[in-house]
Amino acid sequence: MNSSRLRKVVGEVANKLGMLCILLFVGFPILWVVLTAFKYHKDARSASFLFTPTLQNFVSIFNPPYDFTPYLWNSLIISIGTVAIAVPLAALAAYAFSRFHFRFKNAIMILLIATQFIAPVVIVIPFFTLYSRLGLMDSRIGLIILYLSFSMPFAVWMIKGFIDALPIEIEEAAQVDGCTPFMVLRHVTFPLIMPGIITSAIFAFIGAWNEFLFAMVTTTTNKTLTVGMMILAYQLEGVQWETMSAVGVIVMIPIFILSLTIRDHFVNGITMGAVK
Amino acid sequence: MRSKSFRFALIAPALLVILGTTIYPLVYSLLVSFQRWNLTKSTEPGPFVALENYVRAFGDKNFINSGVVTVKFTVISVSMSIVLGLVIALILNRPGRLADLMKTLLIFPFAMAPALKGFTWRFLLDGSFGFLDRIIDTLFPPMANIAWLASPNWALFWLAVTEVWGWAPYIALVFIGALGTMSTEMVDAAKVDGANSLQLLWHIILPTLTPILLVITLFKTIYSLKMFDQVVTMTGGGPGRATETLNFTVYRTAFANFDMGYASAQAYILVIVQLLFAVFYVRSLLGKGGAK
Repeated sequence: MNSSRLRKVVGEVANKLGMLCILLFVGFPILWVVLTAFKYHKDARSASFLFTPTLQNFVSIFNPPYDFTPYLWNSLIISIGTVAIAVPLAALAAYAFSRFHFRFKNAIMILLIATQFIAPVVIVIPFFTLYSRLGLMDSRIGLIILYLSFSMPFAVWMIKGFIDALPIEIEEAAQVDGCTPFMVLRHVTFPLIMPGIITSAIFAFIGAWNEFLFAMVTTTTNKTLTVGMMILAYQLEGVQWETMSAVGVIVMIPIFILSLTIRDHFVNGITMGAVK
Repeated sequence: MRSKSFRFALIAPALLVILGTTIYPLVYSLLVSFQRWNLTKSTEPGPFVALENYVRAFGDKNFINSGVVTVKFTVISVSMSIVLGLVIALILNRPGRLADLMKTLLIFPFAMAPALKGFTWRFLLDGSFGFLDRIIDTLFPPMANIAWLASPNWALFWLAVTEVWGWAPYIALVFIGALGTMSTEMVDAAKVDGANSLQLLWHIILPTLTPILLVITLFKTIYSLKMFDQVVTMTGGGPGRATETLNFTVYRTAFANFDMGYASAQAYILVIVQLLFAVFYVRSLLGKGGAK
C-alpha cells in the first residue's frame, strides 16, 4: 500500500519535472526573443533577466536608418492578397471535388498534395526568369502569385474536408425548393462551412506571412518582414540582436494569436487530414 | 449538361492557378535541366545537351557533399522530432488544466516563421552573448570553448535542433490526438493485471501509435528535405560547406552562379527523391480513406 502510494508520488513529481523541461524547451527561446526586444543594447548582451525595459527598439525599427514600415505593409498586403485570391478559388473547387465525380479527379487531388511537398526552390527558378521578363520582379502581385502555389491547394483540401462533413440532404432540400446550384452554394453551403473557410484563410495568411525563399529571390527593395530581417543580421558592427528581436516580435506575435484561433484544426490541418 | 458546365466553372480558376504556379514551373525546369544556360551570358536558354547537367551533378564534389549533408540533416531531425515528440506526448497525455495549457503552448514553435527560428537559435548560441551558450558553458565546462556554429558537426546538429524545436511539439500533438482514441479499458485492464509503465508503453501505447508513426515519419522526412530558411538565417551553409543542404546548393547554383540549366538539373534530382517519399505518403493517406 505504502509503496504504491510512494510510486504514485514519484510518478507525479517526475511528470511535473517533465512538464517543466517541455516548458523550458518550447517556451524559453520565444521568451528570450520577447525579453530582448525590450532591452537596451548593453542589456541585450548580458544573460540577465533583470533589466530596465524600453520601447526604444520598437521606435527605432519604424524609423530610419532601418525603417521596417514598408516591409510591414508589404507583408500585410501580400498575405491578405494571397488569402483574398486563394480562399474563394479554393472554396469553389473544393465544392466540386467534394460533391461531384469527374475524370482525373483523383489525379488532381493527388497533384494538390504534391504541391505541398515539392521543394520551393524548384518553383522559383522558372519564375525568376519569367518575372525578369514580365517586369514582375520586386512586385507585390508577383509574390502573391507565387504564394498561390502552396496556399490555394492547401485551402482546397482543407475546405473539401469541411464540405465532406456537411450532409448533402441539406443541399438537396434547397434544390427541391427551387434553388439553382449556384444559389445553393451561395446561400446554403458556404454559410454553413464558414468556420472552415475562416480556418483555411488563417492557414493561408500564416503561410504567406512566414514565407522566406520566394520573397528573398524575387525582391530587392520591396521586401517582406522575414526577408527584411536579413539586413539587420549582416551589419558591419555585428548583429543587432535587440532590434532584430523587436522585428521578431512583430513577425511572431500576430501568428501566435492567429494560430490560437485555429487550435482545434492545427493537427489535422497541416497533414491535410492524414492523421485523425 | 448545365451541371457539367457548372462543375467546370467551379474548378477552372483553381486549375488555372495550379497550371500556372506548379505545372508550368515544373515543366519549364525539366526542359531547362537538359539545356546549357548561364543567365549572366544569355537571357535565353542555350542548346539542349541531353543529360550533361545531370552527369555533371554526380561528378560535382559540392553537390555530392550537399546530398550527404541533406541525408544527415534528415536522419537527425526526423529521428529527434519523432522521439522527442513521443516523450512530450507521453508526459502531456493526461487531463488537467496545466496539461491543456502546455498543449496550447506546443503550437507556437511550429507556427513561428522558419526564418525567425534560424535567427532565434543563432542568437541563443552566439559565442559572446548567447544565453544557451552560457548555460552550456556553466553546466559543461569542457564544452566552454566550442564555437557552436563554427564547428561543422555542431552547426549541422544545431540546424537540426531548430527544425526539431518546431516539429517535435507538433508531432507530440499528433500523438496525443492518436492516444485519445486508445481504449481506456485496455489500459485499465492491463493496470489491474499489474503491468508496469514500461510494459504499458511497449504493449499498448506503441502499438496504438504504429500506423500514425509511419505516416508522420514520411511526412516529416519530406519536410526535412524541403527545409531551407534556417540554413540561410542561421549558418549560411557554413562553416565551409558543412550545412549546405541540397536546397541551398540549388539556390546557390541558380542565384549566385546563375547557372540555370545546372541548377534545374540539381533541383530535379531533389524532386525525384522527394517524390519517392511522397508516393509512399500518398499511399498511406489513401489507405486511410483521405481522398475519396
